[in-house]
Amino acid sequence: MQASRARLFKEYKEVQREKTADPDIQLACDDSNIFKWTALIKGPSETPYEGGVFQLAFAVPEQYPLQPPQVRFLTKIFHPNVHFKTGEICLDILKNAWSPAWTLQSVCRAIIALMAHPEPDSPLNCDSGNLLRSGDIRGFQSMAKMYTRLAAMPKKG
Amino acid sequence: MNQEANKSNSHASGDPSNPCPICLGPILQDSYLDKCFHKFCYNCIVQWTKVVARKHSSPPTSVKCPLCKTENFSILHGYDGSSFQRHYINRDFGYSFLLTRAHKYRLQCYYTEPGIVDDIFNVLWYWKSHKYLQPNHWLQSWLKREIQALIQEEDVDIILHHILGVIVTSLTRNDQKYHLKRPETKQEEFKALVSDAARRFLGARTDRFVNEVELFLASGLNIEAYDAVYMQRLGWSYPGVTSEASEGAAIQQTPLIPYLYIFDEDSDGPD
Repeated sequence: MQASRARLFKEYKEVQREKTADPDIQLACDDSNIFKWTALIKGPSETPYEGGVFQLAFAVPEQYPLQPPQVRFLTKIFHPNVHFKTGEICLDILKNAWSPAWTLQSVCRAIIALMAHPEPDSPLNCDSGNLLRSGDIRGFQSMAKMYTRLAAMPKKG
Repeated sequence: MNQEANKSNSHASGDPSNPCPICLGPILQDSYLDKCFHKFCYNCIVQWTKVVARKHSSPPTSVKCPLCKTENFSILHGYDGSSFQRHYINRDFGYSFLLTRAHKYRLQCYYTEPGIVDDIFNVLWYWKSHKYLQPNHWLQSWLKREIQALIQEEDVDIILHHILGVIVTSLTRNDQKYHLKRPETKQEEFKALVSDAARRFLGARTDRFVNEVELFLASGLNIEAYDAVYMQRLGWSYPGVTSEASEGAAIQQTPLIPYLYIFDEDSDGPD
């Protein structure tokens, strides 16, 4: 328990120190609870998520970093490996392939990489996965772009 | 917890530029994985191997490096300049072979100049006087400790019995011609046989090991008495009387600075 607190505090200091190091990621810790974090990540360019800003919620377990954090999208996203309703993410490093050398920052980077490279063969969002698996790239991209515009971009006017 | 204690016996801790990848703090008790040599705190990497083990029904004997995913089979730690300890993954959980004070003393002997007790024990007389025909009851225990210290493993029974067998058969050859040979020839033959048996396990330390075996045999002393003589000559305190509890203080206070041991594979024999 103390070990996870100490480590999260180290990550917090690192985030404060290098706020501008990665302009695509903004990590913030809950004011009253160091086990709750949120992140704002930019949709990677040349993907249907470009131009969108997506919010992630982290719930860090007390055994961290021996156990992975639980991460989900708070912003709605149309992606084969993200549950459309709950925002749950299917990503190996958040499950079996977790290593304690990952940090919250590097998990964000992995999620950005997942947005750019979906894995339609292990879908949490079957509609999205089926579009990609059937080769309907255009259909997938227009759906994803529409949800990016609806949910991840500031409302006009 | 006993962080203070950990800090005091860890080497090169507190280097903030190179933190432990698991706790992100300064590394306490430097520990390395045996294949990729990535460095962690001892507690951090052991905790991680336990977490990995719990995910399997039968714990694996290897762990993937958290940094590079290389398969590693043991954790090397406690390096003090001349020796280190090895913790095998899940093979002996919660327990790894710790060199006792007596083991450390024997290991340190290999870092001293040879010949330090040669004038006390008359090796040639041992061969001349046929003293080698008397069985030495302490040889097996002495050899076991010696091999454990040299290869830093607890279970050395196979190596021990191999080397012991070669020693005993070469000393008790029931062959008339052998007894008529010159003592120098017997000595040479003995040394050649024992080094052949030991070399593949002890490597570059073999020649010194054979000399130490011969010295111990020639002394005719039991282990305690032999240690006492040896340590007195080296100017060290006697290890046998202290219990394992005071092991921490160990032999580090010795005035002797070990010189660099060079593993010279070419030093196999006389040219």
